[in-house]
Amino acid sequence: MNDDSAYAGDADGPEVSGGDGVDRRGFLHCMAWAGTGLVWAVTGGVLSSRALSPASAAEPARDFSFVQISDTHIGFKGEANKDALGTFEQAIARIKALEPTPSFIVHTGDITHTQKAGAFDTVTEALKGTKAERVFYIPGENDVFADGGKEYLGRFGGPAGTGWQSFDYKGVHFVGLINVLNFKAGGLGNLGQTQLDWLKKDVERLTSSTPVVVFAHVPLWAVYPKWGWVTDDGEQALAYLKRFGSVTVLNGHIHQIMQKVEGNISFHTALSTAFPQPAPGVGEGPGPVKVPAEQLRSVLGLREVNYVQGKSPLAVVDSTLA
Amino acid sequence: MNSNNGSIRARWLWRLAVLGTAAFGALAVATWAPAGQSTQGAAGGQMAQPVVVAAQAGPRIEITKHKFSRPTLTVPAGTTVTWLNRDEDLHTVVSTILAFKSAGLETDEAYSYKFAKPGVYEYFCTLHPLMTGKVIVK
Repeated sequence: MNDDSAYAGDADGPEVSGGDGVDRRGFLHCMAWAGTGLVWAVTGGVLSSRALSPASAAEPARDFSFVQISDTHIGFKGEANKDALGTFEQAIARIKALEPTPSFIVHTGDITHTQKAGAFDTVTEALKGTKAERVFYIPGENDVFADGGKEYLGRFGGPAGTGWQSFDYKGVHFVGLINVLNFKAGGLGNLGQTQLDWLKKDVERLTSSTPVVVFAHVPLWAVYPKWGWVTDDGEQALAYLKRFGSVTVLNGHIHQIMQKVEGNISFHTALSTAFPQPAPGVGEGPGPVKVPAEQLRSVLGLREVNYVQGKSPLAVVDSTLA
Repeated sequence: MNSNNGSIRARWLWRLAVLGTAAFGALAVATWAPAGQSTQGAAGGQMAQPVVVAAQAGPRIEITKHKFSRPTLTVPAGTTVTWLNRDEDLHTVVSTILAFKSAGLETDEAYSYKFAKPGVYEYFCTLHPLMTGKVIVK
């Protein structure tokens, strides 16, 4: 793996304008979910979608792409997926098959299920086997519950040891946030004041035309607070991002694709590679859902994000393992 | 993470485990039976049936669908309380003042703690902090 500096200081920023005359909300209202795969194309902060097929002839030109993988839950042995390692490996194979090779990979947490010895290694070794230059890891609660984040931070905490991080790549500013540490009884996902202060400072220097991509495990928006699918102080973080013309927030945690747009901020939650969870409020509570075996791979998956400089689209492509 | 006093880990052999571990410390999972047997009835061996805790002295709190079955439980001092995870998800049982702390409990794993002194012991799941409960010890 390369070090952080590989992505630092890239000044070839695209000119992204939020004022391109397209009615974002109208555009979004026209979107429809389609089958097992979608392409989200973001132009000047505007999302559009088309169906994704493996042999799509309409593959857009791109300057770079990256992959979001999430909720691999290595160590999960429940009824919802007796072979979570197998479906993880299938996702890895999909990443290896991507053309062109993604520049980097982001893992948005719940890398492991139980933090058992070797689980982190399983994931890091597998992702090293892809040709991506770099992998960024953001923890989920399952990665830090046993030791308060000691192992995660030791492995992935970076020079500052905090775990939260940012980098610039080809004009896009990427921020990884941690909202699963220091859970309090009765509480929710939270970032904490120290991290919020860091975020504020981190984005202060950026021009408002800089596309921003934010990663975090628990959704930064209120997907379903009753099940803890929200970040308590997420609003504060988003307040620092509102001035940007294009902000894409990528989360995991809920094991299903959901999206929402607020102004220029688009939110996406990702599929797990391990097991699905119920739609918000459906059933008695969250947790692994067992689906018929032949359907399992259609509810697991990963995400590819493509970026084209100048034209400023950020295409978010969700695909299942089916 | 597995050094917590009073931790009991038992898969399907809960009863046997309880009988076999008189008083001391953590009990490693000694035997594995394929998961799923309990939900399929007693078609397997004699132990392949839903967990029975009649042999376990003291009350039990079950975890299902991200909820504690007895969110408030009142017991006399000296009582050993057992939490049994019947959920598909991973959970923990952790005192808000760290009076006790389970390891991660997978499906059908359990944790026990003996409440020696009177008091109100609030606890929660550190993975899902909306899951809270308390044990009142008199």
